[in-house]
Amino acid sequence: MDSNPTEPSRRRLLSLAAAAGVATALGGLPAFTASAAPQRPADAPLPKGSSRNQLWWQAPGDEHSMIEQGLPVGNGRLGALASNDPGRELLLITDATMWTGGLNDKLDSDGQFPYDRENFGSFTLLGRLTVDIPDHDLSAVNDYRRTLDLAQGVVTTSYVRSGVTYKRQIFASRPDDAIVLHFTQSGGGRYTGSIALDGTHEESVTGTSFGAAFPNGLRYGAAVKASSSGGSVRVNGPRIDFSGCKELTVVVSGGTNYAPDASNGYRDPSLDPERLARTKVRDATDHSADTLLRTHVADHRELFEQLDISLGTSSDEQRALDTWERLGARARDGEPDPELEAAYLQFGRYLMISGSRGSLPLNLQGLWLDGNDPDWMGDYHTDINIQMNYWMADRAGLSQCFDALTDYCLAQFPSWTKLTKDLYNDPRNRFRNSTGKVAGWAVAFSTNIHGGSGWWWHPAGNAWLCTTLWEHYEFTRSRSHLARIYPLLKGACEFWEARLITTTLPGTSQEVLIDDSDWSPEHGPQDAKGITYAQELVWVLFDHFLTASKELKKDSAYAKKIGGLQKRLYLPKVSPKTGWLEEWMSPDNLGETTHRHLSPLIGLFPGDRIRPDDSTPPEIVEGATALLAARGMESFGWANAWRSLCWARLKDADKAYQLVVNNLRPSIDGGNGTAPNLFDIYEVEKGRGIFQIEANFGTPAAMIEMLVYSRPGHLELLPALPEAWAKSGSVTGVGVRGGFTVDLRWRDGKPTEARIHSVGGRTTTVAYGNTSRTVTLKPGGSVTLRDFAR
Amino acid sequence: MRSSSYAPGTPARRSTRAVLVVALTAAMATTLPAAQAATPTATTPTTKSTTTSAADAGVGAEAVAAKPYMGWSSWSMQSSKYPGLNPDGDYSYLTEKNVLKQADALAAKLKPYGYEYVNLDAGWWRAKDWKPGFDEYARQKADPGRFPRGMKPVADHIHGKGLKAGIYLPVGLEKEAYGEGKTPIWNAEGCTTADIVYSDLRTTNGWDSAYKLDFSNPCAQKYVDSQARLFADWGYDFLKLDGVGPGSGKNGDQYDNVADVAAWQKAIAATGRPIHLEISWSLDIGRVADWKKYSNGWRIDTDVECYCNTLVSWENSVDDRWDDAPGWTRHAGAGGWNDLDSLDVGNGQMDGLTKAERQSYATLWAIAKSPLYTGDDLTKLDSYGVSLLTNREVIALNQGGTPPARPVTPSDPQQVWAAKNADGSYTVALFNLADSPAAVTADWSTLGFTGKASVRDLWNRENLGTHTNKVTQALPAHGSRLFTVTPRGAALVSTGYEAESTANTLSGNASVADCSACSGGKKVGNLYVGGKLRFNDVVVAKAGTYMVKVGYVSGDARSIDVSANGNGARHHKFPSTGDWGTAETVSVPVTLKAGANTITFDSGSGYAPDIDRIDVPKSS
Repeated sequence: MDSNPTEPSRRRLLSLAAAAGVATALGGLPAFTASAAPQRPADAPLPKGSSRNQLWWQAPGDEHSMIEQGLPVGNGRLGALASNDPGRELLLITDATMWTGGLNDKLDSDGQFPYDRENFGSFTLLGRLTVDIPDHDLSAVNDYRRTLDLAQGVVTTSYVRSGVTYKRQIFASRPDDAIVLHFTQSGGGRYTGSIALDGTHEESVTGTSFGAAFPNGLRYGAAVKASSSGGSVRVNGPRIDFSGCKELTVVVSGGTNYAPDASNGYRDPSLDPERLARTKVRDATDHSADTLLRTHVADHRELFEQLDISLGTSSDEQRALDTWERLGARARDGEPDPELEAAYLQFGRYLMISGSRGSLPLNLQGLWLDGNDPDWMGDYHTDINIQMNYWMADRAGLSQCFDALTDYCLAQFPSWTKLTKDLYNDPRNRFRNSTGKVAGWAVAFSTNIHGGSGWWWHPAGNAWLCTTLWEHYEFTRSRSHLARIYPLLKGACEFWEARLITTTLPGTSQEVLIDDSDWSPEHGPQDAKGITYAQELVWVLFDHFLTASKELKKDSAYAKKIGGLQKRLYLPKVSPKTGWLEEWMSPDNLGETTHRHLSPLIGLFPGDRIRPDDSTPPEIVEGATALLAARGMESFGWANAWRSLCWARLKDADKAYQLVVNNLRPSIDGGNGTAPNLFDIYEVEKGRGIFQIEANFGTPAAMIEMLVYSRPGHLELLPALPEAWAKSGSVTGVGVRGGFTVDLRWRDGKPTEARIHSVGGRTTTVAYGNTSRTVTLKPGGSVTLRDFAR
Repeated sequence: MRSSSYAPGTPARRSTRAVLVVALTAAMATTLPAAQAATPTATTPTTKSTTTSAADAGVGAEAVAAKPYMGWSSWSMQSSKYPGLNPDGDYSYLTEKNVLKQADALAAKLKPYGYEYVNLDAGWWRAKDWKPGFDEYARQKADPGRFPRGMKPVADHIHGKGLKAGIYLPVGLEKEAYGEGKTPIWNAEGCTTADIVYSDLRTTNGWDSAYKLDFSNPCAQKYVDSQARLFADWGYDFLKLDGVGPGSGKNGDQYDNVADVAAWQKAIAATGRPIHLEISWSLDIGRVADWKKYSNGWRIDTDVECYCNTLVSWENSVDDRWDDAPGWTRHAGAGGWNDLDSLDVGNGQMDGLTKAERQSYATLWAIAKSPLYTGDDLTKLDSYGVSLLTNREVIALNQGGTPPARPVTPSDPQQVWAAKNADGSYTVALFNLADSPAAVTADWSTLGFTGKASVRDLWNRENLGTHTNKVTQALPAHGSRLFTVTPRGAALVSTGYEAESTANTLSGNASVADCSACSGGKKVGNLYVGGKLRFNDVVVAKAGTYMVKVGYVSGDARSIDVSANGNGARHHKFPSTGDWGTAETVSVPVTLKAGANTITFDSGSGYAPDIDRIDVPKSS
């Protein structure tokens, strides 16, 4: 048990429950469940929002371009994109667990997994809600504006029609487990129109709700309820008509009977989602919209306020532009816009609060969809994407949001283990273990929510998931987290113990252990042995396991064995031909020079085996730097973010910042860059851009990494502070590996004050430039440092 | 009407229906009440009028085309595959019954707002299998299936409703009327069809469906006279002469129909009946002087109809007009107008347009001073369509003395059009031609003033109060707003910089050229494939985004990249000025720093307009 007093209450509750044997071993709350009566905040006025944390637009979103223009809301599980059109509010509603497909345990003829919407499955929409107000056609209203308040978690739309100011607020409440739309006006206006809640899978809507099931047995449902002051609200067949309302509140909820429990086939058979949704909207509607709003804002702010950031002051001219114009100006005029850049970071945090709490983790599209055929199924990609989604969580003061990833991995673990045992050494699988042995667990490049994998086997995926889970332990020092992930670590070690093969290095008698036939994601030969990506990941996996075994006082004999394997692992060298750190255990460049993936640099970031200091041979740092430079500066979203993180690790502020700026370029006609709603867009082919959310988290992670570098026992202030942010700035609540958080202020490029707070860590060095001092704290304790000389 | 409809060869798929058509029409004809016929034509002015200008208006009657005409045309419904419109085959909508039904609806619903013409389009002399009929003088004669009582009773009925009647012809002698050259010409002793065309039977018009008339032989004028006489006798007040070139997709001597149009003007004058002469389609702007001289209006573009399951569609080709109208703007005026084609905004479902698209369509037509004739089924107007077609403020804008508007910003997806009115106010239209909602701003500095102005919203019939320096509105996809802006502020003060100034840097092939229409008599041209013009010393007191007014010359719409101080460029498409001898202006946003700046006009990989000068406002 972790006695850390600052550890978030939910995690403590879980670990207590686990200790008492109350919760299932898998942990994690069921996705959609009856919830206790929410805690209501005191009846105090809402804190006023700050424009720094507000994004705003002068036009609503297009119904046909919702993924670029709809504004996202979410309560961690239940999400929506809102169009904010005065005459027709459209919400495309999602539930993180709304998935087709299943275990997908019949391999294709090549020994790999089917990757389709039927067997593997796909993330899909739960429903769509429309609120039609015919008299408020956009062509007839004035002074339109919509705002996303990142700090409050509220989307507000306002406009004037015939002298009356109309305002609507939309938010997704976690305490009330519902999405709320609140329509108000001042000046004697009235709302008349209709509300429709529809499924997107040809369900029949009866009255104000619907329920159905997929062929995979997943039951789902949604419900809507409206209430008004003044006027009338009347259910009229599958619609709700409202007329002459001074004020209107619409509440929608829904979900599925998904349960994160392999032993029950990932279902809660006792749950009737439609009925539960009806109960939830009825319960919520018992409260005023104002009460619902306060409850939501209090809940949202608690997380949001865990980090605050200022990167400097923007000009009045920049502030006068709406968010979309501002992106254009930033790209065109070359003038830094520090408030916009900070808001972009906060938008990533907003997405994480909205999309990663109490349910499944953020997938390729986070929690948001505009159709039922998302690219790559909106799944969990294990060769960068899901990991990048969570690089930001601890760094940016949202450790609680990380738990969804841990819960997910643990819930999938039994299935992953069984599929590995049954299928991995299929003779048709070109990545099979030539040792003939198989143990532990592995995944493919894609995973779903039903324990299944999709596309090709991805041997090192297990190690990368484990190192990601491990880093959360490093940030939080949560012993309960370590205990939860330990079986995953051990299983992955067992897999590699069975898989590693021995080879003699050419021209020497040195025997080393290397990865069997594998594919460095996602280019080059598909039968390469000893790829750097796997060697680095397995090395660090073994490293983590050794530490875990020691800290938990478990499996010491096995740890010794793993330690022996680790010592024999081959680690990459620099190619004499290219001068780059090798990717394929070959001096030749066997892939694409500017390929999006930085797989061979995984030891630079997220790993830190390669460090630009005395701990790493200079030629390795040079080889890594040369490879990173060769990969180029002009990729797209997540690939730029990863590059930025690597340059930050190499303390090259200009390059790290330029890659952030590159990601902030407006996406025009589907081009790479940032959409009007700040979603990151990847141009898969000319003119077709798709939303991939990783850059929305990876870019903020890079921004933090430019301000604070850390590894257990060591942190560095402003390692890669770009000129654009140098004048003055501050950040509070940055997570630090080793179990601390940092509040930092700087001026003229130098730290002026740093407050180190322990969330479980005890000792760390704090470095700035060439100076360093050691801080020792008790968990919960803090110290403020000043006088940083260069 | 365009080639797809008028090709003499009848599509095979139509012929199977034709049998049914004839049968049906015969049945209907017998049931037509005879009482519909013969209303006296006393309401029609019979005083002589020429067709060239308002000043020549005949006594007791408003001159032809003193204002853009308003009314209805049959072609949109004829050309559509909308279910039920043409059950007897393509273009079969045109029948007496349908025309009179529409005339009655026009009279009842739209006449109070100024709509008066009921125009029959192609096919009145063609059976439903498109087989033509001619009288013994090679003149088109009413198809008995469509118009069993002939054409005069139709005009009479229309007149009886207090409306005017329009008819249609393709230019030239239709091939089927040639009759081996032996067909006599009415009232032209000794003239036969062989005398009125060239001996090589060269064809003309947009479909090559006619032999070109040879006006060196007086018989040709006689033939046109005979047709005009017929229309005058029937009581028609309007003629659409179609397939006219250069234009209608054709050019060269063979398709030069200026003489035909002149002959028609002469023939109409000779009838003594005021008949509005409208010519079609996609007329060559290079011959606009002729069109102005001889006609009352000219279609600047191809058909607005989509020949699809609706009357029109946004992309095919309503939206073309925003690009094609600006070059013509200055040519509109009393006696002759830029015709943007039918205004099909009356029924959203049938039109195939969103509400926003319908409003934008009506806005452009209104501000461009295009004739306002709808092609809708007037018996099925929806309430929004009625509101668009009967907005008195918008109609007044189109019909009143204000000048036509043209773009004051480039032809980008978000664009602003404006006209300065005699009373000092401005007509200002905001357009969002993008496929998604977007904000559009009209900056007062693009209109020539700063400070406050009051804004009247014409479509929504409300005053939007005072706006300082600009008005910004969110517009739906393909949406618009239409305002009257009345300045309450001061005139804009700007600093001008001539393109030809030696202080500028020219690169690529860019060079200074003479330009009589340009300020200083010179411009910078040859801005293509990398050609650039850089203004080197543009000084402003304060950093900000300035609306820089660019004087330019461009015979067609061309794009250019505008940047300041080496920063990223904004890409703009400048509307056509109509020809290479006319200068116009548009204003573009340029972000400047305090002090000296460079402003670069870069042709990029294409061909850019010639630049005359820029005017930089004193304040952003």
